Amino acid sequence: MDKILENLQTFWSFTGFANFTTDYLIMICFGLIFLYLGIKKDWEPMLLVPIGFGILIGNIPLFQGLNVGVYEEGSVLNILYQGVQRGFYPPLIFLGIGAMTDFSALISNPKLFLIGAAAQFGIFGAYAISLAFGFDPAQAGAIGIIGGADGPTAIFLSSRLAPDMMGAIAVSAYSYMALVPVIQPPIMRLLTTKKERLIRMKTPRQVSHTEKVLFPIIGFLLTAFIVPSGIPLLGMLFFGNLLKESGVTKRLANTASGPLIDIVTILIGVTVGASTQADQFLQTRSIWIFVIGACSFLIATFAGVLFVKIFNLFLKEGNKINPLIGNAGVSAVPDAARVSNNVGREYDPTNYLMMHAMGPNVAGVIGSAVAAGILLGFLG
Amino acid sequence: MRLNEFLVINTNDFQDDYGQQSSWIEIFNASYGTVDIGGCYLSDDPANLKKYQIPGGDILTKIKPRQHVIFWADNQPFRGTFHVNFDLLGAKEIIFTKGDGKSIIDRIKIDPALKDSTMANISYGRVEDGIGSITGDGEGWAVLDRTSASTNNSMIDKTAKPQRMKEMDPYGWMMAALAMSVVFIALIILYFLFKQISKIYTRPDKEKGDSKEVVATPSAKAVPAAKGGKASEDEVYAAIVAALEMWKESNQLHDEESFVLTIVPTHSAWNDKHELLTKLPLMKK
Repeated sequence: MDKILENLQTFWSFTGFANFTTDYLIMICFGLIFLYLGIKKDWEPMLLVPIGFGILIGNIPLFQGLNVGVYEEGSVLNILYQGVQRGFYPPLIFLGIGAMTDFSALISNPKLFLIGAAAQFGIFGAYAISLAFGFDPAQAGAIGIIGGADGPTAIFLSSRLAPDMMGAIAVSAYSYMALVPVIQPPIMRLLTTKKERLIRMKTPRQVSHTEKVLFPIIGFLLTAFIVPSGIPLLGMLFFGNLLKESGVTKRLANTASGPLIDIVTILIGVTVGASTQADQFLQTRSIWIFVIGACSFLIATFAGVLFVKIFNLFLKEGNKINPLIGNAGVSAVPDAARVSNNVGREYDPTNYLMMHAMGPNVAGVIGSAVAAGILLGFLG
Repeated sequence: MRLNEFLVINTNDFQDDYGQQSSWIEIFNASYGTVDIGGCYLSDDPANLKKYQIPGGDILTKIKPRQHVIFWADNQPFRGTFHVNFDLLGAKEIIFTKGDGKSIIDRIKIDPALKDSTMANISYGRVEDGIGSITGDGEGWAVLDRTSASTNNSMIDKTAKPQRMKEMDPYGWMMAALAMSVVFIALIILYFLFKQISKIYTRPDKEKGDSKEVVATPSAKAVPAAKGGKASEDEVYAAIVAALEMWKESNQLHDEESFVLTIVPTHSAWNDKHELLTKLPLMKK
């Protein structure tokens, strides 16, 4: 009988209940909130559901030495986490994004590139705020990239500049991307007049096949020569797009934009979620990361919308840009563009801004990858 | 791979695994990939480049990126991979050759002054690891302040970049201005490039010609007129095409849509739950 009790006691010490603390409970609640928002509210379910469940996986209180935790070297979760830690998931996601993205809106109206550049103020605004809060420059750069509104870019950069803060940065970036429909509209309304919101933009012209093929080649060569440290992201983004637009590699493009990106999204979501173990995640600095991350989104949206308003001063009547597409420069493809469209239609139900907003939206992806390359070059 | 540093007279400097002090040669992997130097040659004689072959198949000859390896010039090769069959006191030059025994990777002449007893425990090496001449003329080489076997010849501060950034730009404004300028420059160049490319592909003459033809038809005139002349040419084309399509497919002509979607069930054994569920045994009464 004593032996049985002793074994039961040993078994109990292995269970999650025996190692349970309130920190784990808090993190499990976070995971459940993510799952609720993803499943019930349909907010970025592709991201929030894997991350939410990953948070549950990572926050089961473990008996150390079982070799199952994400931070235990050689465990299955640790091996899957290598893609995040060593930064090879983000370029693969960029390959898929490139293969999915139609840059026609941007090619037909190249001035939209500039909106994508303006919205990157969010990154460097957050960088300055982080420095003011006492983070060192490398950490500040990693936090600042949240303003790029691009999960893979945030993971790629933080894995190099501040690996210990990557979990909080990635969760913050993905959370705010999911919250784009909540964060951006009030700022867009605040900064625009009713007349501006009703601006109808010219229908984009049709883009030829040659232009579409030239875009990824020229785009890559130019950006990579200017910022070589961004090659992993820019190279894969433009390569994916070339697979799509060349017309001769449909199978490769389909794989990159379908099964490959789905697999990597699952792995990146679950492992980023699992990396938020209570002991690593529940720190005061995580709260600051979330606060500064929110600021970066606000600054980026402000900068994008204000830039369009200023830009309009130099454009002729008939060529003016609806400032409601300024928010789309923060990337967060395609949610930010959808927000532009929805807010625009609130004031004129027949004014569809989606197509126009996709221009700055995809320019924002290029802009944030360039910005990440610059930060890596200066601080890496 | 580069010859990086050597010490001729070693009296109280580094000791080898046998506890002996002898001359040493440091080789540095200046690349960012692992290099296996197994099979390469070290020599002190230009007439015999194959004097000492570094044994192949030894895991220790795989030199990691930016790492150093020490060879003891003690003329006792039987002591292992890293002990060569010559010493530096009698040598005029050190030559590092590829596995083909002909292509010289790097060479450096030994100044006779380094063999003087006053130069004991003073090494000669590249001022910066891997940087300088590979022809033996000694450019980039100097008598070093301290011997640095298996370490960097000049100290490198790993945290230099962020640290320097913090000192130079404590508030981040310079970084913000600089980085935003780069982002803008990159995207402005793309803007100008694609603006020029679009001029080639839009062919305004042809478009004008086409539009004249379209405007001449009564239906095309009617559409812009209905919208106060604000509709663009593309919208006109879209309206015409949609009208023609609906006229061709007469069943699509609806003044009002019912918004009722009818799903017609089709029976198949694959979706029949009676076929899929395990059947319970029938009880005989």
